[in-house]
Amino acid sequence: MLLHEKTAIITGTNRGIGLATLEAFAANGAKVYAHARRETPDFLALLDDISRMYGTEIWPVCFDLTDYEAMKQKMREIAASKHQIDILVNNAGITADDTAFLMTPVEKMKTVFDVNFFAQMALTQYAARMMTRNKSVSKSIVNVASIAGIDGEAQIEYSASKAALIGATKKLAIELNDYNIRVNAVAPGVTDTDMARAMDESFIRRATEKTVMKRKAQTGEISGAILFLASELSSFMTGQVLRVDGGM
Amino acid sequence: MTDGTEAESLKYQAIQEWDSVGHMALMALLEDEFGILLDTDDIIDFSSYEAGMEILKKYDVAF
Repeated sequence: MLLHEKTAIITGTNRGIGLATLEAFAANGAKVYAHARRETPDFLALLDDISRMYGTEIWPVCFDLTDYEAMKQKMREIAASKHQIDILVNNAGITADDTAFLMTPVEKMKTVFDVNFFAQMALTQYAARMMTRNKSVSKSIVNVASIAGIDGEAQIEYSASKAALIGATKKLAIELNDYNIRVNAVAPGVTDTDMARAMDESFIRRATEKTVMKRKAQTGEISGAILFLASELSSFMTGQVLRVDGGM
Repeated sequence: MTDGTEAESLKYQAIQEWDSVGHMALMALLEDEFGILLDTDDIIDFSSYEAGMEILKKYDVAF
């Protein structure tokens, strides 16, 4: 059990990579604050199922990431619980319409940045402060970026917001090392999620054909890399971006 | 610090121990002690003993 006695916060756990990460963490003994935008009966039932399946505690944390007041309130509740936070996975994100840079209004870019970057930073500020309280225990932050943030082969706002997250990963790795917090990122290639299914099919085909494996990743193949970076298996890694892209 | 008067005159970065790392350690200690989670703006504004006392009042911390 790679995460025995660890407590994690994971954003965007209702589907896709976030859900796979929640399952991987629960299977490895972590207690998890599972974030989703909305607290629906389906989401609560899902958490209950995973909790019972793996015999670990999972608590729902539901708020819109761009609602900073709600974020503050929820993070205060977590702080008041006195659970030591060991791991943060910044997974939640949005994509954008497939438009050319010259046809993309700045306001649309800001909307994507609000979720994919600024909200992650605000949440990380709260979580990192909770993580600083016990410097003797190693902590880990994992940011879910994208190969688009490195290669730029997606919409401008998506690629740039993920590039910003990668930049932040490197900066935070330096700054938070004083508190025994490692900060790394995964950069998934095209992954079989609702987000990818909503994208232009020809774009997905072109992107997968460029890879050595010539297929999309399954969510469990990305969550495995997140689990690795969250665990002590990667104890000498910080500030790194791990490509999980089928070979490019 | 040797007495209360000296503490009351303390300002951020005026002494070696109250640098950015010391500041975050102080914030963590206050949050733990009083069971609060400070806003980021308040952490930035917590620039002296005096400012800190005012900020803590917002969180219903009584002295």
